[in-house]
Amino acid sequence: MKVVVLGAGISGHTASMTLRKQLGKEHDVVVVSPAANYQWIPSNIWVGVGRMNPEQVYFPLAPVYARKGIQFHQAQAKVIFPEGDAKTANPFVEVEYTDQAHLGQSARIEYDFLINATGPKLNFAATEGLGPEHFTESVCTYHHAARAWLKLQEVIAKLEQGIAQKIVIGTGHAMATCQGAGFEYALNVAFELRKRGLDSLAEITWITNEYEVGDFGMGGAFVKKGGYITSTKIFTESILAEYGIRWIKRAGVSKIENRLIHYETLDGNKQTILFDFAMLIPSFAGVGIKGFDAHGNDITAELFMPNGLMRVDADYSVKPYNEWRVEDWPSTYQCPKYSNIFASGIAFAPPHSISKPFESPNGTKIFPTPPRTGMPSGVIGKVVAMNIVESIRSGKITLHHKASMGKMGAACIVSSGFGLFQGMAATMTVSPIVPDWEKYPEWGRDINYTVGEAGLAGHWLKHFMHYMFLYKAKGKLGWSFIPE
Amino acid sequence: MLKSAKFARYSEEAYPPIPTPATRFWRKCILYQILRFLVLNLKIMRIVVGGHS
Repeated sequence: MKVVVLGAGISGHTASMTLRKQLGKEHDVVVVSPAANYQWIPSNIWVGVGRMNPEQVYFPLAPVYARKGIQFHQAQAKVIFPEGDAKTANPFVEVEYTDQAHLGQSARIEYDFLINATGPKLNFAATEGLGPEHFTESVCTYHHAARAWLKLQEVIAKLEQGIAQKIVIGTGHAMATCQGAGFEYALNVAFELRKRGLDSLAEITWITNEYEVGDFGMGGAFVKKGGYITSTKIFTESILAEYGIRWIKRAGVSKIENRLIHYETLDGNKQTILFDFAMLIPSFAGVGIKGFDAHGNDITAELFMPNGLMRVDADYSVKPYNEWRVEDWPSTYQCPKYSNIFASGIAFAPPHSISKPFESPNGTKIFPTPPRTGMPSGVIGKVVAMNIVESIRSGKITLHHKASMGKMGAACIVSSGFGLFQGMAATMTVSPIVPDWEKYPEWGRDINYTVGEAGLAGHWLKHFMHYMFLYKAKGKLGWSFIPE
Repeated sequence: MLKSAKFARYSEEAYPPIPTPATRFWRKCILYQILRFLVLNLKIMRIVVGGHS
């Protein structure tokens, strides 16, 4: 049998490594990824403030896959033919190579099982003027983060000359997610400026589409703190205030011009803010893979939602916020139309947001879409791989392994500073990610495993995870014992 | 970092709780933070392992 994995990010890489470890050599594991390198995205924040070189957060995939016996195609998936075509009844994926030796060449790769783990397309185009090709910076890739650090150094140079600077960090679209990454970058920039004694001249603003800061696309959370059960709004506001960062919430960024951000707030007001340096997270979309049936009919809409993310075993029926249930969320990530296709990580389409949707009087939807980074992506990749392994072994589709975001938890560590004793981190864990108000009617989550605390411990955890997960991703001795 | 004086009274940023010197001490106290490191690791391990089947 042949399993093809599209993507080599946290989810795709976890899936392919798990498949290779558990399947015998008579089965093929094939990875198709347009990138030559694996990157540990959470550490891009440190690249963006010059605390790490890009080389410290990535490694080339080809040698790892060669050592493990995984076939690697540096290529971009373009079209899925789940029923084959006029020439063959075997399902296949049409890919286009991105490596220099085969640049632009196309190929067909047949599969028995397919995992779509392409991750997101960074949809800078959804906001006019957004992104490193225009007026703002990003830390979504190590290339972007390295460029952000270059631009930040220009700001630091001006501050050193006594020239006041305006820094804006946050979400670059009314429905962007990944607030955690932006928040972490804001704290790191504040830390670096304070360390240089430049913070009094710098005005740092956190701009976010969250209804309240601390929502993080998960509807916020409640944590035990100082003898109270309090919301992450208080926890996050406290951290921002402590770092001297002001905030603008309920803001949908609509357009960027040179040093000027246009945004609309939930009350319908259209406003602007000036900046000398801005790092804004774009919205995410699917990477734009098409689908065709055996007769050449376009079935893209049956495989993917309009945003390009893949339909899986979720309840996509449209219903009001107060009728949302954790059961709406997928647990096996199997494509409903084709039982041998799965989507994991950011590539699967969530049934709805986790945060409550809000709309301005002008009809602009302003709220975060659900985060699916890191821990859940890795767990989903592993569960999908384990189900495929069992299906191959048993000769029939078997879905014993499940991982719903309404059951699994996640940790978000927002660390600033560097070194063993100079840093500080705000650590948040939530369990489950999607609040389950039926199981936990008071707080929506297990209050004993939903934590928000600040201190060195989280900072150490972040460092520990950097080295541990890169070690695991390289498939070194004992890698499979390290949890996702 | 202490709360910046640049936040005007009655601004939204002027209201959140700010850590006391004792809180800041415990955040940096090596022995206490080693304990918190272990506790956080255990909690994270539990939610990772217990979250899927």
